[in-house]
Amino acid sequence: MKASMPCGLLLILLLTVLPSAANPLRTTIVYDDAATDLTSAREDVGQLWITTADLKRATRFEVKPQGVCRDELCFPLPKARQQEFVHKTPAVTWFNITAFADLVHQPVAHDAAMATWYFGLRSDQRQQLSSLQAPDFTLPDLQGKPHRLSDFRGKKILLVTWASW
Amino acid sequence: MAQDTGGAKDAGPWIDPLKYVSAKADLPPATIETAKKIGPLSYTVLIDEKHVVSKLYNMVNVPTGVWINEQGRIVRPNEVAFVDDRFKNFTGMDSEPYLNALKDWVEKGDKSAYVMSENHLREKLTAQDPNIARAAAEFGLGEQLYKSGHPTEAIAHFKEAQRLNPKSWNYKRQAYALTSEKDYGTTFRDEVQKIGGSKVYYPPPELPGEKKPD
Repeated sequence: MKASMPCGLLLILLLTVLPSAANPLRTTIVYDDAATDLTSAREDVGQLWITTADLKRATRFEVKPQGVCRDELCFPLPKARQQEFVHKTPAVTWFNITAFADLVHQPVAHDAAMATWYFGLRSDQRQQLSSLQAPDFTLPDLQGKPHRLSDFRGKKILLVTWASW
Repeated sequence: MAQDTGGAKDAGPWIDPLKYVSAKADLPPATIETAKKIGPLSYTVLIDEKHVVSKLYNMVNVPTGVWINEQGRIVRPNEVAFVDDRFKNFTGMDSEPYLNALKDWVEKGDKSAYVMSENHLREKLTAQDPNIARAAAEFGLGEQLYKSGHPTEAIAHFKEAQRLNPKSWNYKRQAYALTSEKDYGTTFRDEVQKIGGSKVYYPPPELPGEKKPD
């Protein structure tokens, strides 16, 4: 037992040192419940910067002159604070996705050791309920066939959750 | 909607009762009889590995029912929805009043006495503690880590979700089921005792008692 202690300590030291030495490591972000692995993300004092190409790939949002947009949805960036969100270099444009989450009141959960970031529901998504319209979703049945709640429009729906646990 | 991180593997047997009983040895004859009687289910059953429905509708337990009318509008929000008496011993709750209410709505639509007024609905739907959304994010992160082969690393985030939204039994029970109650230093039974026992585990549905269908 005693003999194995230094090996264990060495291993712990190695594990602590490796991530910063090999930075940037692979980062995983989960957006709209879909996970995307990024190879060029940068972390800076709790802030996550990703390339605008990765932003589009992971979230479908794009930085446009009018704001950060996806389909009809557009969040303008405060003019005086552009540099908090977008940083252009000759090779690549960086986007601070954590600052954007803060702007749109989106909770972020982070696991530093696993380099994984989870982006929750934005406030516009959370406010759907107060409109009294049933929030829409698409989920698969046992055969994997997707069903969308709004496909049942015109019928009464009894929506019931259950679980095996 | 099966709120199951384990997906089809965990939820599947309950969706196809005949397959469920044929795959399991030593089931009581009554269970096998019931499964044969039910057969494959005739309504749509979906698998929700990421607890999307609970997140979108702010649900905290199962079974939770929501009534949605033909226009896609919520007419009764989250409430316990027992359609049989399987768990009556635990809950002390009879499914009959809820079933009667449901039949009344099917028959009378928006004119049913069980359809809630807009004000009442808003009152029940708009209580938004920011910690609820933070809890959902922690739970989502836990699920991502669990699914990517890191069940031990997931535990801290499942715990944080439970701390931020202590009313969610979904967060507790799903997490216990994925690894063990031991990882959380408690048991389901102890947690139920903490709130005053199984008879108050489900808040009863708010049904106007006098207005049952004739």
